[in-house]
Amino acid sequence: MWLVLKGSLARSTRVVHTALGVVLAVSLVCGTFVLTDTIDSAFTRATAPVPGQVDVVVRSAAAFGATGQQITDREPMPASVLPAVQAVAGADRAWGTVFGYVQVVGVDDRPVTAKGLPAMGTGWAPDTALVAGGAPSRDGQVAVDARTASQAGLRVGDRLKVALRDSTEELTIAGLTEPSKMVSSTVVTFDLATAQHVLGRSQGGLDAVSVRAAPGTSAEALRARVGAALPGRYEVLTADQAAKQAKESWTRALGFLTTGLLVFAAVALLVGGFIIFNTFSILVAHRSRELGLLRAVGASRTQLLVSVLAEATVVGVVASGVGVVGGLLAARGLLVLLRSAGLSIPTTSVVFHPRAGVVSMVAGVAVTIVAAVQPAIRATAVSPLVALAGGEGDAGLGDRRRRPLGAGAAVLVAGLATIVVGMLGIVPRPLAGVGIGAVLVLVGLVLVVPLLVTPTAHLVGRPLARLVGEPAVLGRENALRSPQRTAATATALMIGIGLIGVVTVMAASMKSSATTTVQRSMRADFVVSTYQVPGSSSGVPLAAADRLRQSPAVDAVSEIRSGQWGLDGTAQTLVAVDPATVTGVYQLDAASAAAAARLDDGGVLVRDSVAARHGWRVGDTVPMTFARTGTRPTVLRSTYATTTVRSDYVVSLGSYAANYAQQLDMEIDVRLRPGTSAAAGRQAIRKALVDFPNLAVRDRSEVLAAQEGQVNRLLVPVMALLALSVVIALLGIANTLALSIHERLRELGMLRAIGMARSQLRSMIRSEALIVAGLGAMCGVAVAVGFGWVAVTSMRGLGVTRRVFPVAQLALLAAAATLAGLAAAAAPARRAGRLAVLDAVGKD
Amino acid sequence: MTLVLNSRPVVDDVDDGTDLVVGPTPAARVDGAVKVFGRGDTTVRALDHVDMDFGRARFTAIMGPSGSGKSTLLHCAAGLDTLTSGNAWIGDVCLGSLDDRRLTRLRRDRVGFIFQAFNLMPTLTAAENITLPLALAKKRADPVWFDRVVDAVGLRERLQHRPGQLSGGQQQRVAAARALVSQPEVIFADEPTGNLDSRAGAGLLSFMREAVDRFGQTIVMVTHDPVAASWADRVVFLADGRVVDEVTAPTADNVVEHMLHLGD
Repeated sequence: MWLVLKGSLARSTRVVHTALGVVLAVSLVCGTFVLTDTIDSAFTRATAPVPGQVDVVVRSAAAFGATGQQITDREPMPASVLPAVQAVAGADRAWGTVFGYVQVVGVDDRPVTAKGLPAMGTGWAPDTALVAGGAPSRDGQVAVDARTASQAGLRVGDRLKVALRDSTEELTIAGLTEPSKMVSSTVVTFDLATAQHVLGRSQGGLDAVSVRAAPGTSAEALRARVGAALPGRYEVLTADQAAKQAKESWTRALGFLTTGLLVFAAVALLVGGFIIFNTFSILVAHRSRELGLLRAVGASRTQLLVSVLAEATVVGVVASGVGVVGGLLAARGLLVLLRSAGLSIPTTSVVFHPRAGVVSMVAGVAVTIVAAVQPAIRATAVSPLVALAGGEGDAGLGDRRRRPLGAGAAVLVAGLATIVVGMLGIVPRPLAGVGIGAVLVLVGLVLVVPLLVTPTAHLVGRPLARLVGEPAVLGRENALRSPQRTAATATALMIGIGLIGVVTVMAASMKSSATTTVQRSMRADFVVSTYQVPGSSSGVPLAAADRLRQSPAVDAVSEIRSGQWGLDGTAQTLVAVDPATVTGVYQLDAASAAAAARLDDGGVLVRDSVAARHGWRVGDTVPMTFARTGTRPTVLRSTYATTTVRSDYVVSLGSYAANYAQQLDMEIDVRLRPGTSAAAGRQAIRKALVDFPNLAVRDRSEVLAAQEGQVNRLLVPVMALLALSVVIALLGIANTLALSIHERLRELGMLRAIGMARSQLRSMIRSEALIVAGLGAMCGVAVAVGFGWVAVTSMRGLGVTRRVFPVAQLALLAAAATLAGLAAAAAPARRAGRLAVLDAVGKD
Repeated sequence: MTLVLNSRPVVDDVDDGTDLVVGPTPAARVDGAVKVFGRGDTTVRALDHVDMDFGRARFTAIMGPSGSGKSTLLHCAAGLDTLTSGNAWIGDVCLGSLDDRRLTRLRRDRVGFIFQAFNLMPTLTAAENITLPLALAKKRADPVWFDRVVDAVGLRERLQHRPGQLSGGQQQRVAAARALVSQPEVIFADEPTGNLDSRAGAGLLSFMREAVDRFGQTIVMVTHDPVAASWADRVVFLADGRVVDEVTAPTADNVVEHMLHLGD
């Protein structure tokens, strides 16, 4: 048994360097886990309370916790809470604080932002840490976090411009505070009274009260006592509990990220698996004589099976091991990628938990072994007679036989049918239907692709032969030797190109839909919003809309707000509109306009498909839970179909004002008075908003550009991750070519002997690569069109109403992938060209 | 008989500043050929000052025990390998002066090969295999000449078959036809009958003989089979890298006779 294994193991070093695909895929898997651990640890550290500073935190209870970068909306507490807490026995010291939206404005009158995260203003507290200067002691003084100061080039004593709720003021910097460890946000600190004033906390209202325990009193004991002293509408937590809650909210928000990355990693592993499968198939074919000899001298089928699988295990372990190391690098790369996408993560060194290594190792080894099972079974089918037959036979020419189309086509059709059923929403879980269908289609394609090898070889090969001559003919024939092998190599590329194509189709459709929506429904001439990503804690101060209404150039002004609410504990998003003015700035279809007219302060409008899913009808009560006010039974007034509204739920500004503590507009839509030119209108709006330099005024085309920018920002990291799969697939092409060359050494020697020039030999190998890559690229584009159709159709509810297949981009993608085949052929072709004629032909 | 060759225009498109001289010069020759393999203690002197002419329209067989250097001589004479010292010539082109590109073109245009195995591209039909060197040179086969060669090897019915569908003897005859179709100055054959049974071997040898007799082809063949050697005009015996004996108008019997006394 050992001897059988020994033969395989001795050779496995050759396979290991060809297992680069597994290395890359495992790197991505491991990198994702390392990233997850890193994020987790970063937030754990960033949210950890400073020991001895704060032991207990008091704030208004929220019926529902916000997710993501949204901050839970809480009612301010009355000033009387503070003395009540201070009176609790065991409380050494207690102080109150406030926080809200305050925007730092640079000297160029543009807001100073920290990667799209909340801009904060807060009151000075005893635990505020200073880096330089002193505390802001009176009106006109301010402290700013050191990171923002250095970004804006400001020092202690300089003047700082900040945009407040209804004015922009220049204040003197008294000190620099330590930047938040949590997120890179801009933080402006006032003395408490000023903060309360500028943030609108009337009569000494507080957002939080922090308590330090007296010596001898534990945090938990203090928490219990404070809790007993206050009415139930306050939430009393130990600092540790509060930190844990904050951390969980952040990591939950980033959970989608981990899931997304794991999907890309899984794709990479799948592609890597294809390559392993191919490599082992070739090696088994190549070694059939040796395997036959082993059988002839008495090795059992099981022993051969085990020997191949053992080899796969060795390859898997080594490649995955290297991949785990690569994962540490990959995690750094992913962090960079995430930052480029605007997702800010507290900077920290990469954290490696053994679990990440173990899981990726297991995944990599498992994929390698599974991919080797079929070749291993084929190895056991080798007859002992093969060893006795003279020569090595025509390497790889055996399986030119046609495979039945039936099975592949059947699976393909079944998959498509499942997708259609899923999309029609007939089954209870439509997404699962689409998913299963997609997998079936993929399997079907894998079975069908071999049948496309011959037509593609001729399609690509014919013009190539005209261009290059005989070497291209030979290359084409080589690609046709084993359609199975060519197909498997091409399929790996197909997956990568297909997914990139799907994303391309989705992005084009999203952009086009957005354009159409804006063009069809935007009646506003200008949209006012912050430069930042809208969220409940950043937004347009309400004073802005009032100023606009007073402008003589403005005909109609309509505000839109956005917020989170809870439905059975899950976060939902709603938008709030003014039913009276919204139709003045948005062109809605008749039914939706009628729906808007029925909206009142106790009601909600729900997207028709969402209402149908929940079984709600007009007149039913929707149990909406708001963080500030708790569960409010809200009456469904109407449903709507329009995709102009991105959110599934719409309430009135009146009910928003009643249920949310934080009142900021997400956007203000402005229509100019008839006859006002765009330039004059813009000037008038700017003039009205002179106190709000942090607000962007965008016309239709600028709104479109901003939306496209958002799509593009997401596109970059997605494409980068998918490109990795394509790189793996190209490695697979190089790998297959190299193994084929090894297999055909004698033949290549003969060709060189009878007069094939080195350049012709290289042309031959490149031609084969072009055909393989061309097949993969063409199938990939076909997949992109098919799956892109499905994906875009399923995004209807998200406002993607148009299906756009960017022909030029897809053609470019296919051409680029095909040409990349040339790059993949470079190394094998060079190696083949260097073969000495005699090495190849002369030795018996 | 040489008239057949001389009556056909010979194209010399090797841009090496020489013109192919068809005349008394031998088709191929080696002068003071020395080939040393390895270094230091493991040095093997495969060829030790061999001088040999391969006359036009002659069929020469090279024989000798294993390790005598016969294959090395063939490889060096054919431009597949380089000599350590001495010169190899095809016509009046000295091979040592050619770079890989010119050497390749020389092989393609002026040399034919028949190997023991791996002679054909499994992906091409017999006809495509025969015209492969011409296709690589972007030339068309002369249809009259192609037909004569195909008929001579008796493959008319098999032209559209792939090597896998042909017997070993048929495959070697395809290889022989390929070597002949570009009308090379010399064909080098390395144990061409090594993998064939005696009947198929005789078929191939009779064709090679015919190529020499009817078409004025020059053939150099390495073999260890006295019967195969007996089809040649001349048999040269090598031992330890030197020419040790020579027989003209050989028969299988006298070849065996000479082989038995090589060491004497």
